Amino acid sequence: MLIKTGVPDIEDIMEITPPKRRREKGPVAVIECFQRIPCNPCYTACRFGAIKEFEDINDRPKIDYDKCTGCGLCLTVCPGLAIFIVDESYSEKEALVKIPYEFLPLPEEGSFVIGLNREGKPVCRAQVKKVQKMKNKTNIVTLVVPKERSMDVRSFSMKDYDDENTIICRCEGITLGEVRKLIQEGYRTVDEIKRISRAGMGPCQGRTCRQLIMQEIAKFTGQKMEDMLMPTFRPPTKPIKLGIIAGGESDE
Amino acid sequence: MKYTEIAVVGGGPAGLSAAITAAKYGAKVTVIERNNSLGGQLRKQTHKFFGSQKQYASVRGIEIADILESQLREYNDNVEILNGATVLGLYEDGVLTIEMKDRYIKLKPDRIIVATGAYEKFLSFPNNDLPGIYGAGAVQTLMNQYGVKPGRNVLMVGAGNIGLIVSYQLMQAGVNVKAVIDAAPKIGGYLVHASKIRRLGVPILTSYTIKEAHGKDWVEGATICKLDENWQMISGTEIDIDVDIICISVGLTPLADLLWQIGCEMKYIPELGGHVPIRDENLETSKKGIYIAGDVAGIEEASSAMVEGRLAGLCAANSLGYIIEDFEEEKQDLIEQLDSLRAGPTGEKILNGLEKVTKVIAGRYGYVD
Repeated sequence: MLIKTGVPDIEDIMEITPPKRRREKGPVAVIECFQRIPCNPCYTACRFGAIKEFEDINDRPKIDYDKCTGCGLCLTVCPGLAIFIVDESYSEKEALVKIPYEFLPLPEEGSFVIGLNREGKPVCRAQVKKVQKMKNKTNIVTLVVPKERSMDVRSFSMKDYDDENTIICRCEGITLGEVRKLIQEGYRTVDEIKRISRAGMGPCQGRTCRQLIMQEIAKFTGQKMEDMLMPTFRPPTKPIKLGIIAGGESDE
Repeated sequence: MKYTEIAVVGGGPAGLSAAITAAKYGAKVTVIERNNSLGGQLRKQTHKFFGSQKQYASVRGIEIADILESQLREYNDNVEILNGATVLGLYEDGVLTIEMKDRYIKLKPDRIIVATGAYEKFLSFPNNDLPGIYGAGAVQTLMNQYGVKPGRNVLMVGAGNIGLIVSYQLMQAGVNVKAVIDAAPKIGGYLVHASKIRRLGVPILTSYTIKEAHGKDWVEGATICKLDENWQMISGTEIDIDVDIICISVGLTPLADLLWQIGCEMKYIPELGGHVPIRDENLETSKKGIYIAGDVAGIEEASSAMVEGRLAGLCAANSLGYIIEDFEEEKQDLIEQLDSLRAGPTGEKILNGLEKVTKVIAGRYGYVD
């Protein structure tokens, strides 16, 4: 519930979603302003009369989607960063979403980021199409997202989607990103990475991750797989209870 | 003893607006500001303001400070600015005593506009004196004015506008905001501010309070706890959070020392943040010649503080006999601006509070003849 969590409900979103036909026609403003507060810059910024005149400064913006050109002027002035531009005409399967962004560093055009929804949860991989630096420091980042995510992606994280969502060690939950970071920091053998991260110390004893980690090291250092240093193999070959060893046969 | 026509105590949004307006109509104004720069809280407001064009909507607070300062400088002939100057006392003969860079100054104005703003409320919980526990406003000053990152992981206590805005700015500074909690069952600040940090992954937990802080020499963690509908902690719902900074953002209260000193009639109005002075529609208090504007008159947004400042400046200049041809029109415009800023649901509380302290004050007496 919006008033309790800051996340709008599905009914709230339905209310401000431009019709599908309009979204598919080209860029259009999506105004996610759900509360009556004294604020009207979106109306004063609009050059096309698409945002209707406020009778009371506390009015919520009302938009005429036919007049809206998706120019994005309202997006840059909105003090609440509550306006987004959605363009579902971009390609057959993808849509563009313009997001107001006030963080540094800015993402690089062409790079991949993680599309986040209104709860900050990752929902898809997105490519940065364009970064517009604005004078008022509310910059605009245009993302290419899967079309079905156009009304879902409202933020992004600059972490690489693959890095975050690819698990290298399933037993210990170590991601590709964590392994890559360690390699960058100078850990260059499976054993080193194992000791610092626990990758390979779970039930499968490295059978999932060992090769994958070696591939990542090889990729980073330019070595061949046959030149990679293998980790030390020690018993036991699978995790067992200490009691099994304690209760076992004696050395005699 | 120095003399001036209008002394404006405080060079924040309300004080500057008051000084600009009064100086524009010809009054000799002295602005007394504690800090070495003008603008008050505006100096650390890096977010865009709400409101309409008349209150600089969509302009960042820090830029509004520059705009107001340059407007004030246009009336240099009428304006004296005392920076680094703290008013120590306001006496019954209307004399202000001021400490300015180790000097003690006495100032006798014909009118005084008190625009001293507000101070942050604090909370009581075990270990609340550990280093690393700040007021949210203090953290904002540290970051945005002095360029100091307060820590790595923050718990924000309070989901009003300040708590939400400072959380966002902490994230802009690269600090991890672990959670924003609020004892109330609802988010108090503007929901657009809440959504803005929510979509960056920060949880907002309503009906939660801080139970205690942990740590030996500094904050090493906090325990938060869920509240039932009677605001009582529900045992078993404790959550430990790993943080090194706890920001307290549980509201502001008017900084009204000077008004108490001179004996203005005060009233406790929770909707306005605490004790506030009785005033008339010209923002003159029960003491003749003493005007108020901004948070000292009741906690509100900077946009209304600026309009109140203009109103107080206009009325103070008018009362000194400066000829303002369109006085009634100007005054009406400002009153209408205030009405419209307060017309929405967020203004309801303010209006309820104001109703209890705004009245026609008859037989007013004071040091002014």
